[in-house]
Amino acid sequence: MEPIRIDPKRALDEALRAQQKLAASFKTLREVEDVGYGATDKEEVYREDKVVVYRYKGKGKPTAKAPLLICYALVNRPYMVDLQDDRSLVKNLLALGEDVYIIDWGYPDGADRWLTLDDYINGYIRRCVDAVAKHAGVKKINLLGICQGGAFSLCFTSLHQDKLQNLITMVTPVDFHTKENMLSHWTRGMDVDLFVDTLGNVPADLMNWCYLTLKPVRLNQQKYVAMLDILDDKVELENFLRMEKWIFDSPDQAGEAFRQFIKDFYQGNKLVKGGLKIGGKDVSLKNITIPVLNIFAEQDHLVPPSASRPLGEHIGTKDYTQLAFKGGHIGIYVSGRAQREVPPAIHEWLAKRTK
Amino acid sequence: MAKGPDTTRAQDDWQKLSTQYWNAWSDATRKAFGANAGADESGKLPWHEGLEQWARMFDAGKAQNTQSETVERLLAGARSYFSLLQSLAEKGGAAKLDPQGWSDRVREAFNFPGADAALFDNPLARAMRELAGQGAKGFEQMMDSLQPAMREARALLDMPAFGYAREHQEHYQRMAKAWLDYQHETNRYNTLIARASRRAFEVFEDKLAERSEPGRQVDSVRGLYDLWVDAAEDAYAEVALSDEFREVYGALVNAQMRVRKHMQLEVEKVSNDLGVPTRTEIDSIGKRVHDLHRDAKDHAASHAALLAEVAALRAEVEQLKGAKPRAPGARKAPAKTVRASRKAIGKETP
Repeated sequence: MEPIRIDPKRALDEALRAQQKLAASFKTLREVEDVGYGATDKEEVYREDKVVVYRYKGKGKPTAKAPLLICYALVNRPYMVDLQDDRSLVKNLLALGEDVYIIDWGYPDGADRWLTLDDYINGYIRRCVDAVAKHAGVKKINLLGICQGGAFSLCFTSLHQDKLQNLITMVTPVDFHTKENMLSHWTRGMDVDLFVDTLGNVPADLMNWCYLTLKPVRLNQQKYVAMLDILDDKVELENFLRMEKWIFDSPDQAGEAFRQFIKDFYQGNKLVKGGLKIGGKDVSLKNITIPVLNIFAEQDHLVPPSASRPLGEHIGTKDYTQLAFKGGHIGIYVSGRAQREVPPAIHEWLAKRTK
Repeated sequence: MAKGPDTTRAQDDWQKLSTQYWNAWSDATRKAFGANAGADESGKLPWHEGLEQWARMFDAGKAQNTQSETVERLLAGARSYFSLLQSLAEKGGAAKLDPQGWSDRVREAFNFPGADAALFDNPLARAMRELAGQGAKGFEQMMDSLQPAMREARALLDMPAFGYAREHQEHYQRMAKAWLDYQHETNRYNTLIARASRRAFEVFEDKLAERSEPGRQVDSVRGLYDLWVDAAEDAYAEVALSDEFREVYGALVNAQMRVRKHMQLEVEKVSNDLGVPTRTEIDSIGKRVHDLHRDAKDHAASHAALLAEVAALRAEVEQLKGAKPRAPGARKAPAKTVRASRKAIGKETP
């Protein structure tokens, strides 16, 4: 049997539809305003250098016993968790009664060239955690680390567990040397000292180029072919543009922290193999004995599930829960399924454990 | 958004263009798929040219940044799809071909008129080239602009350096060698991408063969395009996850950094001559400021901890003082309490 059986009429319709969409886009693309982001009101509660901690304002008073601080990655902007009204992890958590705070790392510049992982983890995160605890009037808080922010949160918990009640990691790489991990595979031949000594801070454009080359045809061609389908739909087009804005709204990376992260995590895989030191202090996942919820995405091309799943084998806690989400690295925040599944899972897990 | 006369005129122009292009497209498509045998030569117009026209209509300079960038990205991304549409329309989308025949047809479709001939039969390299953003293009453009200088430097490569300008000559020799090394590593990388492209067509044929089963046939041009993308990504992942790719990728990145480093040194030399502060100086100052900043934060934290400790001790002392209220005529009792307290503190102190 022939592998391809394209009905002439259907092909004609397909071609006509593409043309109609292009024609319609002339109107819609000119009508859409510069897309905004952030669905939820928030107030600043702490500021240090370029780092700001915000508290999100829900419609009602929080019912959770302890605040939840979100620690996002350095490589993208944190508003992905509150992208728009119908795609907001934050909004859904607030609706369930959580008291949600977030660390905004800002955009590092030349003045931040020498920031180390010690500065980020033992410095900024520690002081942000203290600030949130003080603001909420509690001794211990809950921490939610996302992606690279999850790896940072694991390090922080290993070193400062007395400040936390529970830890949640989302799409967090733990074992960096699994075979599907393309990013890690590529970094292992790099002379990262030469890289950082040459570039100083690592430009965001270079990082984005690297991410796009993980799936070059899908991310540079197919995505925009699929965009043809929504060119006549203003709302869908705005959603698309908002996502595009987030994807390419990337901060530069502080040189020294980047150097250490690539050497110790991507190349050395020390979170799993051991020997990791942050600010001269030993970091071990075995030190973590508070309850841990690990959420990962089954179709994640940036942090493959095989990189997240091993956390349970290496962590010290006896209260470890794992949640596999059907979706990708971005879908876990913004898909319809994510809105239905992820916030309730986090809330229920926390409610059983927070004192 | 308010619509002025320019916008209205542009929209009318687009409608005219759209109608013309539309008729050509419709005729060509009808002809190809047998719906209308009387179409004219307009089907030979590259269909992706319609996309280019569409993008030009936006007058990217006036559009908002996000939108104009999106238009640019859509333009780059959708060319291959439109070429596939046109190819199937021109050569017959309903032809009876085996998987290899279809694969050849898709390969030809991607070598569309106007495409960079250097990237023929290499759709993955094209996808890489279509990456937008200065991070992707900047260094390549910089390298192009350096070509003449590098050709000059290459002539000096094998000459012995001596005399007053010896160090300068050696610097240029090292820079030229780094540049040649970068060219070499770029070629190795491109060879692997070309290999991934070739492999993509093999994987595509395999996927097509799987679709020969009843109920799994591809029934749309978009479906065919999507299947091709799956094949291309599978093939790319095979190559990109190989040990050879890891070595070549690392060597390419390292080679590029060496070139950048030499260029920085060159800029530093010129800056020094002109009395302009250099990157090295700024880095040095930045490092000192950062260290001072850290120290200040540590001291502030220590200071706060000390103040808290002093406050706690004061409170404790006050509490101890208050614990034994003085009774008239019992003057020695407080002194005993204090001594007991000092002993207790002394025991805890190492």
